[in-house]
Amino acid sequence: MRLEVKGLVKVFPAPLFSGGTDLRALDGADLDADTGVTGVGGANGSGKTTLFKTLAGILEADGGTILAGGAVSGAGRLRQLAAYCPANPRSFYFRLTAAENLRFFGALAGLPPAEAAARAAKLADRVGLATADLERRFDRLSEGNMQKVSLIRAFSRRAPLLLLDEPFRGLDGIACRGLLELIAETGLTATVLVTSHSRELLGAAAKQTLRIEKGRMPPGGTQ
Amino acid sequence: MSAAAVVAAFVRRDFLAERSYRLSFALGALATLANLAVFYFIGELFGDSLAPQLGTFGASYFAYVFTAMAFFGYIGTGAGSYAGRLRLEQTQGTLEATLSTPLGVPRLLAAMSAWNFLFATFELAVYALAGVLIFKLDLGAANWPAAALVFALAAACFAALGVLSSCFVVLFKRGNPLAWVLNNFEGLLGGVYFPVAVLPWWLASVSNLLPVTYAVRAFQLAVHKGAGLAEIKGDLLALAAFDLVLIPASVWLFGLAVRRARRAGTLGEY
Repeated sequence: MRLEVKGLVKVFPAPLFSGGTDLRALDGADLDADTGVTGVGGANGSGKTTLFKTLAGILEADGGTILAGGAVSGAGRLRQLAAYCPANPRSFYFRLTAAENLRFFGALAGLPPAEAAARAAKLADRVGLATADLERRFDRLSEGNMQKVSLIRAFSRRAPLLLLDEPFRGLDGIACRGLLELIAETGLTATVLVTSHSRELLGAAAKQTLRIEKGRMPPGGTQ
Repeated sequence: MSAAAVVAAFVRRDFLAERSYRLSFALGALATLANLAVFYFIGELFGDSLAPQLGTFGASYFAYVFTAMAFFGYIGTGAGSYAGRLRLEQTQGTLEATLSTPLGVPRLLAAMSAWNFLFATFELAVYALAGVLIFKLDLGAANWPAAALVFALAAACFAALGVLSSCFVVLFKRGNPLAWVLNNFEGLLGGVYFPVAVLPWWLASVSNLLPVTYAVRAFQLAVHKGAGLAEIKGDLLALAAFDLVLIPASVWLFGLAVRRARRAGTLGEY
């Protein structure tokens, strides 16, 4: 699926009476990506996460256009099309097992329980998450295993647009290799955007890497 | 993705989470019984003679409070659970993840408090069993179809108030004036602990603006006096009018609140 982003603007208003100023997190970002894997690099605070959250439909853009598969897409359509893996893997129900969490979020994405469980088991194997860890309560998992569950949640949707924000964070070497293979396979049929502060991993995941600086992505600009 | 599948997923999630806090579950049930016992002994102490306003309802003080508390406990679930659930999702960091899925606002609202309503139904059954078996309450005169209609109209109305209240949670996180009013004034002005006839005229006129007043009065009359639809027509119409205005308004405003949070980037904040 072709993804074209033109002049994307996202401004976070300062809280009322705080005396602060608005934060212009995306300042006319342009991006062009097709089926395959595209890396997005940039310093802390450059706008990578805001870009991904806007493309996932979690945030509503304040300006610019997003065309997904040739159609202008608002936040609602983007939530249908995109699966997002956040940089922070703690957005799960801590009192539930990893498998129960995946079943729940699978249901919200339209997956029947058996299908969600089957996909989770398959993906767990790919990223090196043991079956026992799938059945473990989420708050008893290590940070690395939490990240694996977060990755499984995103991959299991099989969405045409996959947004992976710092997906290698906390993963061991074997899991990183498994994830790189998974990203490459997914990139055969979906548009995958990946961020990472590791140039090495980003280079291994994506042939093309775009750079974002102060909320701007120069058209065609590569790292 | 069917709405039923979404509701089932939320109920399962909340049941598993609640089950993991076993002591809290048991203490909650005990607190309900202890509450009832307090009003039972107040009723025993004073009898019916000191409460002539109860004559309208044909009930002793205990029977009156028992019915109102059971009823208000259930419909109050709608008023309180949406904001409570939403706040919980905010603080545990799952709200943004839940709202990043294709799930729309109406389905989220239908599913979000489903567990709370199921649990409230269980509590209602505990109330009813305790009332009949332990406190020997006589509900023989009740007009159950009329009571059920009051129940349905009131539950929908209070769920809408709960959704409205949760808009404040989406936008301001803490500080919820509607929940404050619901928590502090509905019991006082709505005739839950005593008939509104006890109130001075100026407070009684305020109570007439609250749906709980109509709901509690109609329910009491249907349960204790066996009142039919004709006798509680005014209260039913008032509740239906509240429903007609509050239900669409609350869903629309909740959608606006979520949209505003998406624009401001505060969906994941707490």
